[in-house]
Amino acid sequence: MNDNSKANTGSIERLVKASQAGDRGSFDELVDLYQRRAMQVAVRMLGDAEEAAEAVQNGFVKAYLNISRLKEPGSFKTWLIRIIANTAISQRRAARGRAEKIKIAGDSHSKKVFSTEEKEAGKELKEAIRRAMLKLSKKQAQAIALIGVEELPAKEVAEIMNCSAEAVRWYVFKARQKLKVLLKEYLE
Amino acid sequence: MVCIQGKAKIEGITERVSGMKKEQEQIGILLRQNESQQLEGFNWDGLNTAISNKLNQAENSKTSTIKFRSVFKVAAGVAAVAAVIFIAVMIKTDMLTTARFKNGQKAVGTFVLSQGSAKVKILDSNAQDSKDKSRSSWIIIRTTEPKVADNGQSRDDADFACLM
Repeated sequence: MNDNSKANTGSIERLVKASQAGDRGSFDELVDLYQRRAMQVAVRMLGDAEEAAEAVQNGFVKAYLNISRLKEPGSFKTWLIRIIANTAISQRRAARGRAEKIKIAGDSHSKKVFSTEEKEAGKELKEAIRRAMLKLSKKQAQAIALIGVEELPAKEVAEIMNCSAEAVRWYVFKARQKLKVLLKEYLE
Repeated sequence: MVCIQGKAKIEGITERVSGMKKEQEQIGILLRQNESQQLEGFNWDGLNTAISNKLNQAENSKTSTIKFRSVFKVAAGVAAVAAVIFIAVMIKTDMLTTARFKNGQKAVGTFVLSQGSAKVKILDSNAQDSKDKSRSSWIIIRTTEPKVADNGQSRDDADFACLM
């Protein structure tokens, strides 16, 4: 579904206002429109579709419970993506905690060996990216995930992250530096 | 010679910069590749249903919280009204009035015994005992008059007050 078309902006505002008035059906329509974009952001931040799905579900619930606080219905997309990104960040913390426990336990399977089939299916890459993203700071992970989603401009990412465009570029730069080292065997 | 060296240096820097750019693009490509692989064949209907279920749960708990708040408000209101009525009854039955001395001094404190009744004479105990210089202390007990035929608690309280 195309959620970014200017022709739809008016209808999105209408749906947001109706949701604020308590119309659940309108909010369900907003879920339909934005769930793909939300998943893209969450998958980029977390590296895993299952974890991303959980973050997206929780994010939409938060949005639903707080929609009456949104003063500008026109900025719903930015507001929602911010909620999704922050929810994904919370899940990162939990995932980091789990990863630390495994490390402390000295689990010999913490670095899994993948079969050829699994490699082909992209599981190895997924795992490598998931681990690498966990090693980025919160801001770096958010910035690099958001910049990559339909090539959002730095200004829009800055609005979502509540910081300046220059700060976003800096976070993206540092994130790429770190990922370059962490994922070097996957870079040509 | 210097120009050639300078040119070589610039070319070297340009190569490094373009190399860095290429690496950064590759990272972007890698992340997009993972994203595509993760979302390929993803169950969007399942996600939609899961979101809908969570929203239903959120709605239900929101409704319960609102109902609970209403009940709490009603209970608080009833308690407040009851307190007001109680105070009004106490004032009306003269249980909280303060005793006064003949000379206009106020009593130090008022002790309410019960709902019995009795008349109490207030004695002036400001006089100092000549033997040990101690000053008498006093207590004022004020109760309501018991009914003549009352043999219950209120009569006992009134008798006690008289003894005091």
